[in-house]
Amino acid sequence: MSASSFAEGKATIASEYSSEVRREPIEHQFNPYSDNGGTILGIAGKDFAVLAGDTRHTTGYSINSRYEPKVFDAGDGFLISANGFSADGNALVKRFQNQLKWYHFNHGKKMGIRSGARFIQHLLYGKRFFPYYVHTIIAGLDEEGKGAVFSFDPIGSYEREQCRAGGSAASLIMPFLDNQVNFKNQLDPESNGTKKKELRYLSLEEVLKLVKDSFSSATERHILVGDGLEIMIVTKEGVRTEYYPLKKD
Amino acid sequence: MNHDPFAWGRPLNETYGEYNYNIANASSVTSHRNPKMATQQPIVTGSSVLAIKFKDGVIMAADNLASYGSLARFDNVERLLQVGKDTIVGCSGDISDFQKIERLLDDLEIEDGYDIENYELKANHIHEYLSRVFYNRRSKMDPLWNSCLVGGFDADSGEPFLKYVDLLGVTYGADSLATGFGSHLAIPLLRKKLDSDDAVKNLTEEEGIKLISECMKVLYYRDARSLDKYSLAIIKKDDVKLIKGLRCEDMSWRFASGIRGYGN
Amino acid sequence: MSDPSSINGGSAVAMMGKDCVAIACDLRLGSQSLGLANNFEKIFNFGHVFLGLAGLATDVTTLSEIFRMKTNLYKMKEERLIEPESFANLVSSTLYERRFGPYFVSPIVAGINSKTDKPFICGFDLIGCIDYAKDFIVAGTSSDQLFGMCESLYEPNLEPEDLFETISQALLSATDRDALSGWGAVVYIITKDKVLFLIYFF
Repeated sequence: MSASSFAEGKATIASEYSSEVRREPIEHQFNPYSDNGGTILGIAGKDFAVLAGDTRHTTGYSINSRYEPKVFDAGDGFLISANGFSADGNALVKRFQNQLKWYHFNHGKKMGIRSGARFIQHLLYGKRFFPYYVHTIIAGLDEEGKGAVFSFDPIGSYEREQCRAGGSAASLIMPFLDNQVNFKNQLDPESNGTKKKELRYLSLEEVLKLVKDSFSSATERHILVGDGLEIMIVTKEGVRTEYYPLKKD
Repeated sequence: MNHDPFAWGRPLNETYGEYNYNIANASSVTSHRNPKMATQQPIVTGSSVLAIKFKDGVIMAADNLASYGSLARFDNVERLLQVGKDTIVGCSGDISDFQKIERLLDDLEIEDGYDIENYELKANHIHEYLSRVFYNRRSKMDPLWNSCLVGGFDADSGEPFLKYVDLLGVTYGADSLATGFGSHLAIPLLRKKLDSDDAVKNLTEEEGIKLISECMKVLYYRDARSLDKYSLAIIKKDDVKLIKGLRCEDMSWRFASGIRGYGN
Repeated sequence: MSDPSSINGGSAVAMMGKDCVAIACDLRLGSQSLGLANNFEKIFNFGHVFLGLAGLATDVTTLSEIFRMKTNLYKMKEERLIEPESFANLVSSTLYERRFGPYFVSPIVAGINSKTDKPFICGFDLIGCIDYAKDFIVAGTSSDQLFGMCESLYEPNLEPEDLFETISQALLSATDRDALSGWGAVVYIITKDKVLFLIYFF
């Protein structure tokens, strides 16, 4: 600590003679982010897609609410969820829904899922230097009527996938999905260990079973996950919602 | 004078020499503007706000203390605010920021009254408005340092409405909510009673008041920044009763005589 | 990343079946993101007791040698092999001796008591707190992934063949989602008649 640092104006107290003189300023900055926990999961099927999320809302070790929905039907058969910092998540979803409305006014047609995904990239990248602190997943049907899931990182990098877990327990659920949806590490029993198990589309019943298993496992081992599971399912008939209780401890 | 559009109106370096940015700790990035002021920490603060849903609406309570650090500075501060016919906003955190919110909501009510006839602000509107104010201020890195509860009725469903919003713009709703120390001390007690939708549907006004006042007592026992004088709001359809100057009653401090530091 | 327990990477997992136990680990040894070796085994056996050591590689090697010495001394003094339960307490006390300058490892133990034929598995933190379990124990840089896999794939009272399939799928899928684990795996299936299956994947 040199005297020159005082001359440079770094001192926080005017008097050099004070016994409490502090040459370096105390760094205390407002933190605009927090983590509200929770986890989400999207799986695409042949002619359907699901997007599921738990309904627990937390800050630190406190459970704020046992039912705070975070998966939304944005319209046009879009399911969307932005998991992480919930204020940013809600802001992103609201902005998307609002812009979707304007898209209808301007073009008078439904927005395609691929256009929606690209638009979300722009919403996220638009805040590249003050990012939305969220892991975003959208689900819907593509132009051929096939199930589609797109997942985004906080600044808009995105990819279409068959399945994706996001949020606090993503690391617990994702390897399970690799194994059970994409049959990773599984072999064809007939081939005597020479051929990989062939990929096939899962039925809606199979997918819902996997989703429920994923969330009850995550609830068991992750403290920020639990209370309730809300699954949204999109088919050509439209969107429907199912709710299952999870452990509240 | 400098004619550069990014430093318009500033003295020219060639004429007056380079500006000393260390004056008032102005950073060179914002040097062409005035030094920016933003709330860095709350100063005069209010402690917990509690609220529950019950059969006919919402009950909310907050004590009347405004602290200056550990000093009990003002002991007659009203932290529950009525907006419209049947909405109450309860605020904890910085009191001056709360007063700013009071003014914003007042303006909102007046503007709304001019523009739209036969339309009243309900709790969900107030909450949405507040959450956007809070989120926009946090995004400017100049937050309003409060945690608020909004209680009343939903405009569409007519059901009791109770939601939280804070300085980050984080929002959530539940049958029982609390800010500050209340979220640690009162929430477990409130949730024990209100553990299901049916419990809310069956809770009477009297039971609700008893539950809340019990929690205010617990807070006065254990939260050093609280007061035994508080206000209680009972929100029912088109009817708000704001009861001021209530006291925590039937307390026993006999345990204190055995503890060093409780004044012996 | 300067966290000592995730410099070299690596994971281990143990599971309990019907009259059998399984223990498995990956084979990677790395230096942060750089992979150095694909033959770094993290499971060691002392008689019929198996020890998995995930964590800082230097401590893995050191501890495996310390336990080799300690179990040999035990064998000479007691004139019998150490049992899993006793070995678990030996691990615990050895780690706690270094309470304020710990070895950066997460050990797991698996074995079948040769007297009672009871299967036994347990895990530890780096200072020796024992975590007894009747289902599974996970350790290492892919512990989150292993928790997710084991919690959803595991069921109680599996026969050795099914237990082998379960632990292998759990370890392989978990390490595939961890950049610091993988590069091959070893699985041991232990039954009371001391038949060991040793299987390598590459």
